[in-house]
Amino acid sequence: MSKITSSSTAEYFAKNLQQVGFSSPSKAVLTTLKESVDNSLDACEEAGILPQLEVEISKLGPGHTRNTDLVQISVEDNGPGLDPEELAKVFGEYLASSKFGRGRCSRGQQGIGISAATTWAQLTNASGVRVISKTKNMRKAVTAIIDVDIKGNRGIVKKKETIDWDKSHGLKVEFRIDGRIVLNGDGGLLTYLEGTTLVNPHLSMNYKMTDQDMVKIERVANEVPEIPPATLPHPHTMKLGEFMTHAGLFGKISLENFFKKGFSRVSDTAIKDIAKKIPKGLMSKNLMTIKEEDFKKIYSAMHEITLIAPSTRSVLTVGEEGLSKSIMRLGEVDFFSVVTRKPTICDFKPVVVEVAIARFLDRSQPDGSESQAQLLRFANRVPLQFDKGACAITRAIETVNWRSYGLNQPKDSVPMGPFVFAISVTSPFIKFKNASKETIDGGDDLIEEIRRALMQAGQKMSRHIRAEGKAADLERKISHMEKFGPILVEGLARIVGAGKGRVAKAEEGLKKLLGRDASSAERELDDATSRLSALKTRERKKFGLEEEVEAAADDEGAPSEEAVIEHEEAVADDAVPVEAKGKGTKKKAEAPPATTRKKK
Amino acid sequence: MSSHKHIRVRESTKDIPKEAKLLCDQMLSDLEKAKRPVLEAVKCALDNSFYNPKVGFLTPGKKVVKTELNVSSVQKMARTIFLLEMLLRNVASGAVNTKRELYYMAKGIIKKDPSKRPLDFDDQPESDSIIDFIGDMLQVYREEMNCFANDRGGQTYSKNLVVTETLPDGSKAVVDLGSLGTTPFQPKNKPQTFRLKPKKGKIDFCLVIESEGTANTLVANGMHKRHNCIILGAQGVPSNGVRGWCKTIQDQLRVPMFFYGDLDAYTLQNIFRTLKAGSAASLIRNSDFSAPDVKFLGVLPDDVTKYDLNYYTVNERDAVENRSLKKAKDALENDPFFRDKKNADLADILHWLVKEKKRCEQQAVFSVDPDDPLILEKIIVEKIKRKSYV
Repeated sequence: MSKITSSSTAEYFAKNLQQVGFSSPSKAVLTTLKESVDNSLDACEEAGILPQLEVEISKLGPGHTRNTDLVQISVEDNGPGLDPEELAKVFGEYLASSKFGRGRCSRGQQGIGISAATTWAQLTNASGVRVISKTKNMRKAVTAIIDVDIKGNRGIVKKKETIDWDKSHGLKVEFRIDGRIVLNGDGGLLTYLEGTTLVNPHLSMNYKMTDQDMVKIERVANEVPEIPPATLPHPHTMKLGEFMTHAGLFGKISLENFFKKGFSRVSDTAIKDIAKKIPKGLMSKNLMTIKEEDFKKIYSAMHEITLIAPSTRSVLTVGEEGLSKSIMRLGEVDFFSVVTRKPTICDFKPVVVEVAIARFLDRSQPDGSESQAQLLRFANRVPLQFDKGACAITRAIETVNWRSYGLNQPKDSVPMGPFVFAISVTSPFIKFKNASKETIDGGDDLIEEIRRALMQAGQKMSRHIRAEGKAADLERKISHMEKFGPILVEGLARIVGAGKGRVAKAEEGLKKLLGRDASSAERELDDATSRLSALKTRERKKFGLEEEVEAAADDEGAPSEEAVIEHEEAVADDAVPVEAKGKGTKKKAEAPPATTRKKK
Repeated sequence: MSSHKHIRVRESTKDIPKEAKLLCDQMLSDLEKAKRPVLEAVKCALDNSFYNPKVGFLTPGKKVVKTELNVSSVQKMARTIFLLEMLLRNVASGAVNTKRELYYMAKGIIKKDPSKRPLDFDDQPESDSIIDFIGDMLQVYREEMNCFANDRGGQTYSKNLVVTETLPDGSKAVVDLGSLGTTPFQPKNKPQTFRLKPKKGKIDFCLVIESEGTANTLVANGMHKRHNCIILGAQGVPSNGVRGWCKTIQDQLRVPMFFYGDLDAYTLQNIFRTLKAGSAASLIRNSDFSAPDVKFLGVLPDDVTKYDLNYYTVNERDAVENRSLKKAKDALENDPFFRDKKNADLADILHWLVKEKKRCEQQAVFSVDPDDPLILEKIIVEKIKRKSYV
């Protein structure tokens, strides 16, 4: 029998980096960028800082591995920075995280991503990540290279020194890895940055990709989204083993108190109902003395009773206002529609779904042909860029009948046209299909919730498309009259042998007849247009966009005037009122506290 | 161009140029009064079809398709008048054309006259539907407007049939089918004036075979020499030429006529029903293009058992086969021909097809005795003798 050995977590991941997003040279670059940016954004949010990111990706030469380039990825933020003694843990140790299992809507969850990026850099370029860090309490910044001690799963700090840095606080990471730069397409770096821009209205970012010009993105929201506090677990989301482990954390308290203190949504009535279903006296018994078979009885009883659904207060939304403003940063928007659903419970987990659909003027094909609309998927505000077909979001979009909203859609597919569909699912407990977090695994409940959000957005958007249809209809009718009327009269006159007098009279009559049709088409168009513009005015007032849109119109002319927000009363009931969301879920940017930077 | 002006298809009292002129005059005067002209055509659809067993074919009901002038219909109306003018010119001059030729002629006229460019047709179905609409509107056959289809099907063999054709110029052509050797006689898909006579005595029966190939096999094996009969191949859904020819045989020779084809819903509905009672799409012409006395000789459901014929089970997952099954159910519910008591036996076959989900091809009979090349002939004759037909 061969000898059984145990290996460290770092050893496991070093051998299985493909499981966490390093399966190809191009994915390695994207994942490294993604992990760095996600960490920066999470850290800024934790500290209540409006993020300002500087991103640069450059090709330094050929890579050490065949068919790769040596790529430098550098991400600099204005976050709280990390204390020097934390650098090794954050960048060099796997599963060292401040967020693991906390039940919060942060981007990172387990503490794998950035350590995996360091490992990749180390494996392909024999050097880990170069970090510069400064907290507001430090006079000078610290710079160091962090490697992963793969055998021991811990970080090793090398070449540590203090330097001057013209920032009051912040962090800069610089990875040199073997990879390949892919800018566009589903798995492209620009697609990632575009998606991140969309769902982070409060983000300002300058980025430079290889030899392209620097792109500056200004923030459109001046509030840092507050990550709602974690809530206690709901009993119905627990498996038996989890339930018993959870009990172990509470020590010598009675079962009744355990239910009250250890869970959310367990009322006194619920405790009485559970007590009726378990042996007498068990409810007041000390947790430490309860036997395993009694735990099983308690667990079954707990699942038999009806409880209030879990709280949805722990989920975070970008909000319609933020999405509305943010979407205009992606290009020249013709029109768009955004929906933020009320937080709800899917598969016993609180979830909120947000949808933004926009039509872009600059994405139309020159020959008028249509390609598939771009689909941007997000989970906890992180773009999902691979394995689209297996994702719950894709399944939801494919099952909506977009033709009824005026879009072209091949059977059971993503619709066609110069549209961007952005769908964001936020939940403290998102079920991913794999550790690299590329696809959401969704049950029927979640798919239905996404479908509803998509359909609401579709309804809003269809009003624009309808108005366009009426305008096209009027144009077609007018051109039809001019084209076919005279030919008809001439043909009739030739067959009948009628003279000029009759022809003139008939043409006169025809004009009257078709004029009536045109006026009725004009009336329909006027009606559709005025309904739409009334709506636009209402929405501009609501989102406080009026001045901005007008200012943009002054700068750029007509198209920006058209860039409007759509909203429909019919669906307003289901959507979260924007004004209401402003309170409680957002907090003003404040001076960065000297908090510890959290890592994934 | 020939000297005759108007080829007569039937005993019609319609003066097409006059009727067309009246219609156009009405439209023009409506326009002068700023009133919307309306074009009306018989609705040629199953929901406007009626079947009276005494009449024997599908006749139109009162439903009409009305096209009122408005911005949406102005294009169709302008195209209708444009093609009507072309057809009237043909009627006046005696020129004949196919639908495809008319399509290209229309394109030629449009090319020469830029003012007509908006009327241009993108493809032939667009002009075809306008030609059909004109026919339905004036209640005339398109042949009466000198627009003819390609000849298809109807290759006829007999040793005892003489056809005398009166040509448009009044001269007569006599064709003795028994003297044509291996060449068949074929009716044209345009009006012809025939006088049919047996060479001697009375012809025993006329056999219409769905497959032209199987009809040729019977003839090659000499069936028409051994039996005093007429054999003709329908070549699938019978063309107007075949339908008119069968009616002529039925009316003039008064011989029993049998149809032999596949046992499936398509054959029964689209081929046999069209031959016997016409179709919903050609309601205005069924009176001249149906042979109500024709009997369905086979393949009958009983034959499948009696001769142990190979059959196929309808694959319900196959869209085409499943559609045919649905069509059969639909026919039982909505087709006045199959709903009529007189045709209950034919409806029973459809019921059997729907229930058993089986189909059997006409050639399956060759499996009964592969060594006997005359097996089909023998079975057909035997079935006629024992009156095994519906």
